[in-house]
Amino acid sequence: MILFAPLALLLGAWLVLPAVLGLFATFTTYSPFTTTVRFSGLANYAAVVQDPQFGAAIRNVAVFTAVAVPLELAVGFGIAYLLRRPTRGRELCRVLLVMPWLVSPIAGGVMWHFLFGGATGILDFVFGWLGLPEVASPAGDLRLALPTAIAVEVWRVAPFVTFLLLPGLASIPNERWEEAKLAGASWTQQILHVAIPELRTLLLTVAMLLIGLSFGAFDTILVLTGGGPGTATLTPALFSYGRAFQTNDWPVGAASGWLIAVGVVAVGAVYLRLARGRPAT
Amino acid sequence: MSRIILLLTALVAFLLPLAWTALASFGLLPDNSSRPPSWTGSLTLQHFSEIGIAEPTFWQELATSTAAAVCAAALTVGVAFLGAYALARSYFRAGRMLAQGFLVLASLPVMAYVIPLSDFMRRIHLVDTFAGLVLAEAAATAPLAVFVLHGALAQLSPEWEEAAVLDGAGLCAVLGRVVFPLVAPSVAATAIVLFVLDWNMLLVPLVLTSGEIKTIPVAMSDFFTFERELDWPTAAAALIVSLAPLAVLVAVFHRLLERFRLDASTAQDIG
Repeated sequence: MILFAPLALLLGAWLVLPAVLGLFATFTTYSPFTTTVRFSGLANYAAVVQDPQFGAAIRNVAVFTAVAVPLELAVGFGIAYLLRRPTRGRELCRVLLVMPWLVSPIAGGVMWHFLFGGATGILDFVFGWLGLPEVASPAGDLRLALPTAIAVEVWRVAPFVTFLLLPGLASIPNERWEEAKLAGASWTQQILHVAIPELRTLLLTVAMLLIGLSFGAFDTILVLTGGGPGTATLTPALFSYGRAFQTNDWPVGAASGWLIAVGVVAVGAVYLRLARGRPAT
Repeated sequence: MSRIILLLTALVAFLLPLAWTALASFGLLPDNSSRPPSWTGSLTLQHFSEIGIAEPTFWQELATSTAAAVCAAALTVGVAFLGAYALARSYFRAGRMLAQGFLVLASLPVMAYVIPLSDFMRRIHLVDTFAGLVLAEAAATAPLAVFVLHGALAQLSPEWEEAAVLDGAGLCAVLGRVVFPLVAPSVAATAIVLFVLDWNMLLVPLVLTSGEIKTIPVAMSDFFTFERELDWPTAAAALIVSLAPLAVLVAVFHRLLERFRLDASTAQDIG
């Protein structure tokens, strides 16, 4: 259909074509800085997989996704659940609670860098009130850096989850809740037997977006820790970026970028199966 | 009662960091070296003018960010509206499945393809141009827009369009006078969300520009990558300036934004 043409052109030229050309390039020694290009098979991918830094990045992003996504969903759902009924002050709460998501990921990193830092930060202020000695920023601590990055991500993304879930949750007919209440369901049962079945496909869709977001975690960590200390918060996206644009190891950067895509497509295949699953009744 | 306590806890947890930043931008800073900590400084707007000293092109960057986000969001919405309509009205039964495929594409991190994209843009001489930036941002956010608009359009009963066609309306008239007015709120809500995403996007402008065109997120990454540690009050002022337009936009249109629905595409058709 002709109506589809502009979209196909936009996506084709600025997303699909570069990505596919990039895929072919990863099987060669191609780089914008070389003149001779040879076929190299899977050598670039072998280099990525054998790189201990990439191994660390995969481990980090696995932990990051496994902890951050359920937390974002739970906190975001919880707030949406509290706001599901129209009450006084609800609109104000909604607007205020979406604010963290409006802070760009990079600005969030800058902000938390200072808030965790000594002289003027929140953390030190609270510790000071409790009469405890000064603390160093947890973002610089080998063991605390990853949990810190996760906490910042949850702070920023959970409000987005609320924003996405609230219209769906608010449109569940009131009778459904009343029925459940009359049947003596506690609030946990109401969530399990009313909210979650009603919102099944919406929750799946939001989870898909959040997993993609975690797999590509980049901006906030770039300023908050830069991937460090050591490789404590290195992610595949930071790895790709560093290889391609900082150490000029272009083929390795492009190949590891493609491995991120493989991860998202694998999760996407599961999503497509589940979302198609049983139709809502 | 417990509901109110929980809500207040959430409000404090999510807004305290922003309030802290806002206070710092107006010159109110905690003094953590004394025990117990105290507050110092007096209310001033000075730090906002200091942004222009720390980053001389900041106001220029603000204009670039605004223009790029407006153009990219408008382009994406226009293109995605037509594409989503084609999907929703195709006799091709896979329309819904394809829409979900677009969601998977929307989940794909920009990092997955931005490295070859930067090389591609260099070859077609669009690196560090406004047009190149807008096109790349528009493409990156288009899949999400297609998914959301497909959801809105698929719920629309085709009867209105059929009636218009019987009256002799062409495709343009059907789209412009029948379909668009019916889904205008969803289109507007999508445009606002896209504006937020484009305004905050870092990786696309970071990789595709090199100084000629600069957006706010790129400037913020510079604050640190060049090791010029910025003053906290000045950084806070820059953060507040970059957040304020989005905060106003969302506050003004918060009712309309309820029309940004991710569930319509997969929900059963109503009626």
